[in-house]
Amino acid sequence: MSDIAETSPALAGTAPKRRGSNMPLPWKIAARELRGGLRGFRIFLACLTLGVAAIASVGSVSSALMRGLAEEGQTILGGDVGFEIVHRETNDAERAWLNAVVERGGALSKTADMRAMGRAVKNTERTLVELKAVDDPYPLYGEVTLASGQALDQALARGTDGAFGAVVEPALLERLQLEPGDELNVGNHTFVIRSAIDNEPDRVAGGFAIGPRVMISDEGLAETGLVTVGSLVDYEYRLRLPAGEQTNEAVAAFVEDTKEALPDSGWRIRDRSNSAPGIRRTVGQVALFLTLVGLTALIVGGVGVGNAIKSYIDKKREVIATFKCLGAPGGLIFQIYFLQVMAIALVGVAIGLAIGAMVPMLAQASLADLLPVPTEFAVHTGPLVLAAIYGIVTAVAFAVWPLARARDIPAAGLFRDIVAPASRWPRPFYIALTLGSLATLAVLAVALTEDYQRMFAIWFLVGTAAAFGVLLLTADLMMWVARKVGRPKMPSLRIALANLYRPGAPTGSVVLSLGLGLTLLVTISLIDGNITRQVSTQLPDRAPSFFFVDMQKAQLEPFNAILDETDGIQNVNRVPMIRGPIVAVNDVRAGDVDATPDTRWALRGDRGFTYSAALPAGSELLEGAWWPEDYAGPPLVSFVKDLADGWGIGVGDTLTIDVLGREITAEIASLREVTWQTGGINFILVFSPGVLDNAPQTILSTVTMEEAGELELQLRVTDAFPNVTSIRVKEAISSVSALLEDLVLAVRATSVVTIIAGILVLAGAMAAGHRHRVYDSVVLKVLGATRAKVLGAYALEYALLGFGTAVIAGSAGTLAAYLVITQVMQAEWAFLPVTMAVTVIGATVITMGFGLVGTWSALSRKAAPILRSE
Amino acid sequence: MTEVSAGKSISDPIISLSDVHLTLPSTAGPVHILRGIGLDVSPGKAAGLVGPSGSGKSTLLMVLAGLEKPTSGSIKVADRELTQMNEDQLALFRRDNVGIVFQSFHLVPTMTALENVAIPLEFAGRADAFDVAAEELKAVGLAHRLDHYPGQLSGGEQQRVALARAVAPNPAILLADEPTGNLDGTTGDAIIDLMFDLHSRRDTTLVLITHDMHLAELCDDVVHLRDGLVEKTAKGTRNKADLLVGAAS
Repeated sequence: MSDIAETSPALAGTAPKRRGSNMPLPWKIAARELRGGLRGFRIFLACLTLGVAAIASVGSVSSALMRGLAEEGQTILGGDVGFEIVHRETNDAERAWLNAVVERGGALSKTADMRAMGRAVKNTERTLVELKAVDDPYPLYGEVTLASGQALDQALARGTDGAFGAVVEPALLERLQLEPGDELNVGNHTFVIRSAIDNEPDRVAGGFAIGPRVMISDEGLAETGLVTVGSLVDYEYRLRLPAGEQTNEAVAAFVEDTKEALPDSGWRIRDRSNSAPGIRRTVGQVALFLTLVGLTALIVGGVGVGNAIKSYIDKKREVIATFKCLGAPGGLIFQIYFLQVMAIALVGVAIGLAIGAMVPMLAQASLADLLPVPTEFAVHTGPLVLAAIYGIVTAVAFAVWPLARARDIPAAGLFRDIVAPASRWPRPFYIALTLGSLATLAVLAVALTEDYQRMFAIWFLVGTAAAFGVLLLTADLMMWVARKVGRPKMPSLRIALANLYRPGAPTGSVVLSLGLGLTLLVTISLIDGNITRQVSTQLPDRAPSFFFVDMQKAQLEPFNAILDETDGIQNVNRVPMIRGPIVAVNDVRAGDVDATPDTRWALRGDRGFTYSAALPAGSELLEGAWWPEDYAGPPLVSFVKDLADGWGIGVGDTLTIDVLGREITAEIASLREVTWQTGGINFILVFSPGVLDNAPQTILSTVTMEEAGELELQLRVTDAFPNVTSIRVKEAISSVSALLEDLVLAVRATSVVTIIAGILVLAGAMAAGHRHRVYDSVVLKVLGATRAKVLGAYALEYALLGFGTAVIAGSAGTLAAYLVITQVMQAEWAFLPVTMAVTVIGATVITMGFGLVGTWSALSRKAAPILRSE
Repeated sequence: MTEVSAGKSISDPIISLSDVHLTLPSTAGPVHILRGIGLDVSPGKAAGLVGPSGSGKSTLLMVLAGLEKPTSGSIKVADRELTQMNEDQLALFRRDNVGIVFQSFHLVPTMTALENVAIPLEFAGRADAFDVAAEELKAVGLAHRLDHYPGQLSGGEQQRVALARAVAPNPAILLADEPTGNLDGTTGDAIIDLMFDLHSRRDTTLVLITHDMHLAELCDDVVHLRDGLVEKTAKGTRNKADLLVGAAS
């Protein structure tokens, strides 16, 4: 007999108003069944909500950023179209092309970006700065706002004292302990800092910055003497197209026309629709990864969804059997419960979407600090629809299996108690539906990524599926071992082992749900640990203390003299550097070379070259032979193997470079592999001596020395050679580390979502077994077991479960991290036992904690009422 | 074979079982529940199945309703051979031909009395399901309880709802499994009174499982089962006129 007050409190005192609506029969009955409320579906709802919220949040944030980038494209780029040339200004043909636009009513602005040393005048502080020289029309879009409230051209103008003005990022004032009004030496000129910069509209497009911004006028740059042949300057030309040519189609057409008119220019053209490709790519990659992590959380939660449905169906066995007795076919039964489950799933999805839509708005403030990108925080329908689809398909994937078994509940069950039915596979249609849903998830996840991300998405899914399979096997193995161990003498252990494999044991659910989350966390932690170890420990150990860039040949001698007078110098490397583009491969122009997408970059824009009699350190010769030290024949070049493979060339083929308008063709004499991680000086192209000896060149030097003398040496070199930029490796590493930390934090925070999903499933599985625990503990107590003994047995069971799961998840995660580090990143692998230990202990403690919390209440139940009711 | 169709000899039996065996597997070895049962029941008659626990009464009822497939033998009910039908065909067969009353009522707790009675009619696609259901509830004296949930009804009331549900589609056969087993004596008597009244007024064939010989004696025929076999059959000795006629409150 059913007691409504007990089973369906939501029904008490209510009566439906409508008796026979026009809804189809399965809907009508499903609606009636749902009057019982959502009890028993809390974990189901939480799992779906969590996964959908994670995916919707990530999608909404990245969509806000992407849309911000797109809508503010003109401002971020500083024009409708931008042209970047490294190392040189425009040539006549390029200038004529750009000026033609100005003559048609457009506008042109030129800026020059370079790294230089900023030296305080009133003290001895100095730092590497990102120097930007701007012309009068700058900025064509947006506005540079200054803390002083001045107009930019006023602030940068030459003062009555002859000094040009400079405006600077607040970080520079802090680092050099300066204030507006103070003087700053850059190159050979002393600037007066007129103001701090509040907003630089095209800052984002500039990419990753090592030092703070110093903005000066182009006349001011000329005074510094920093721009000489061979110095590393990025020239940016921005165009505002004439009023009639500002549609997206017209902009794209202009870009195409430009490429056609000046195919060999070598400049990098960007238009406003792709104003910050680097950031776009980074946001895209992080978003993809986080979406996949969210999907993993959803799949982990799916296990909870399946469990919840299974226990719901168990409670409904009697009703289902009654329906069958009254003439309901199996298909109708499936429809009735499928509709109910989907209705509840929609509630979970809706809550998840609401959270997902709100999170970006809540996160706006902290994101603004992390990413200086204008964001449009509105409700972004696209990612929400996608998250909803993921949620619904996941619910279908995990609901069909238990529901299909509900379809096969025998009606005869009403007449006699049914022993737990033997594990029976659902009908083929339902198996196909489950597999189809899972395949849909995978196809969606892969199809919605961009080409360059596709392999990553595929490998992620393959890894997740493999982990899923391994964990399923692990669960079976644990149960098999527990069964085979026999009957140990220790009663607690015997009970613990028996509980691992008894019918309805949560072993499978716990291993799968907690294990998947843990695997992901261990993978991320170990990858992060390895990268951090390389950046913060190994790199400084191997890398030099300084890079000195843009040194002129004539400065080499006095520079050597300074080094001679400095104590603690361990190693000095000096390499000539020439810059220019690779213009042809085997006489095929660079634009027509059939290169793989990942190696095409080297055919665009300028590269640095060097020449050397000996094989540079950090290089390993793979093919061909190195030229003799006294070689004096036709030009030879040594190339890196990866690029040669990507371009389909090898030893004996030719490469042509352009050095200030002069094309030099050299035969490839050898192919090398370069270990870039050592932080030494290495180039993709190393020429034989004699070819470039007289080309305009600068010297790149590295100095390795004891840390104590570093600041002193930097002071002396930058004072003596204002044009030389010194990069202190420790400072650069700390900038990179800070960026990495932010990124890793975001990744870790999302991966924790999978752990939470796992814990939810764990809690659900524990709750489902609660009645069984209560009964067991009562019987054990009746038979004379103390509470401590019962508790001990359960603690042992949970410990075995958590420990076993963690060991397998830890191993799977370690393998995944190892593959990523060694195969994808091609870096050195180090096993980090502490990370593993923390994971294993953490998982064991969590499992024991959740298990024992439930068990404690089971233990405190009085025996008599339970025995009577049984 | 045991002939129960003594009363209406000219009509073909509506239920005809021939050499029905049912063996179920168990961990302790196969259990032979039915061991060659033969049984005919004529249309409109009432047959009482009696026997000790484990004699196979409930299993026989399940077999009659198409809820359990026999290991061998033939089961013909309402001119259909049940052993040849698949699960969904059996469900539709029950919907159209068989009403069942359970000892534990088996009402759907989330549905009102009216909805519970309407369900088999809705399964059959009847547009007048709720009107018919209301009439049936009125016929069992529950016109004032239409919108009550099972949890808000007494045991007797719940069994009356179950009875109304079983007869609502006007089935040719009514199967009752210990319908008074969970009720006190007075309430049980009222339910039996009601059931026999519906049986005689609608000319429905009734198969009643009971432990209570006194109750079985009300049927036209009494079939005694023991160890999965029909031990003997006899005529009912009590007159239905002894029963109170009309709906109990």
